[in-house]
Amino acid sequence: METESNPAGTSRQDELYEEAASAFGPPLERLARGYEADPTRRRDLLQEVHLALWQSLASFDGRCSLRTWVYRVAHNVATSHMIRDRRFNARTLVGLDEVDPPSTEQDGERLVDQHLALEKLVRLIHQLAPVDRQVILSYLEGLDAVSIAEITGISPGNVATKIHRIKNVLARRFHDGGRHGQ
Amino acid sequence: MDNESPNGLASVWKEQPVQRAEVSLDQLRLRSRKLDRRVWWRNLREYAASVAVIGTFGYYIWRFPAPMVRLGCALVVAGVLFMVHSLHTRGAARTVPTEMAFRSCLEFHREQLERQRDLLRGVWRWYLLPLVPGMAVFLFGLLLWTLEQPHAPAHTRAIVITFFLTAVACGLVFVGIGKLNQWAARKLQREIDALDALGRES
Repeated sequence: METESNPAGTSRQDELYEEAASAFGPPLERLARGYEADPTRRRDLLQEVHLALWQSLASFDGRCSLRTWVYRVAHNVATSHMIRDRRFNARTLVGLDEVDPPSTEQDGERLVDQHLALEKLVRLIHQLAPVDRQVILSYLEGLDAVSIAEITGISPGNVATKIHRIKNVLARRFHDGGRHGQ
Repeated sequence: MDNESPNGLASVWKEQPVQRAEVSLDQLRLRSRKLDRRVWWRNLREYAASVAVIGTFGYYIWRFPAPMVRLGCALVVAGVLFMVHSLHTRGAARTVPTEMAFRSCLEFHREQLERQRDLLRGVWRWYLLPLVPGMAVFLFGLLLWTLEQPHAPAHTRAIVITFFLTAVACGLVFVGIGKLNQWAARKLQREIDALDALGRES
């Protein structure tokens, strides 16, 4: 475990954390939004992610990139949060093929407003089971199939298939304005 | 920008306004210490409750003259000690953040579900069952001892009925808890199987 301090009084762990927080701060906030709808609980989740990240970086040995490390910790903390959450047990989460378009008053209208598009996207993500959620959130962050595979543990081929499905689901649900199946 | 295409949605996602939650290193250290303290207090509460039960039944061993009651008390004490040991082992298996980075999401998710499933399957075995023999012998010994008392014959039927009703109620609660836990464990097992299938495809 790396605990040596430099003259400034910060350890390697602290430096790595600051580097990670600076580079991945906004992605981590977006990731938390993909897992938790309630703003207060989301703030708690985000703090939990940061704490786990800082603690884990004491053992960072470069076996993977800092990005992979950060996303793994973040997704795993968030998944634990989902499992612990009682609402998770009361609600059925589904895979990409079964996800329903969120029913909104704007259904049938073109979603030209970014805010509406984002709200609808978030509601769609919140219906997904953890594995599909991890893939779609990583895809939206612009990660390629190989990186997503390294983070999630699913093969790159499988990730590519899932991304293809994600694209179809997004195109269908959003282009049709939620009139899927008509 | 086309907000409706997958690429457009990815841009919408990445361009969403975020409030940078500044988490300083001092805050993290403080939170880490608070978390450790919370775990320490939780463990202390569990151990304190066990000490109270052991103290009570230890006192009964010394207080009651009936050998069967004393045997029941000793079995309850042994059952509580077994529970404490199980709690300690379970507590030691707490996930540490490093494990989250060394495991892929699929592996980690599976482990979490497996841990919950085992906990549900095991609660009856390590939390309730160890107390059953002791409580049964203790209550039965208490019944016999009560019936031996000078005033008991007038109330024999009432004492016996009360004892059996209590025993049946306890049995039903234990079985009910066991069934509910088994049902929840089966549900988790289905999720684990689905993850296994995904892992095999990979």
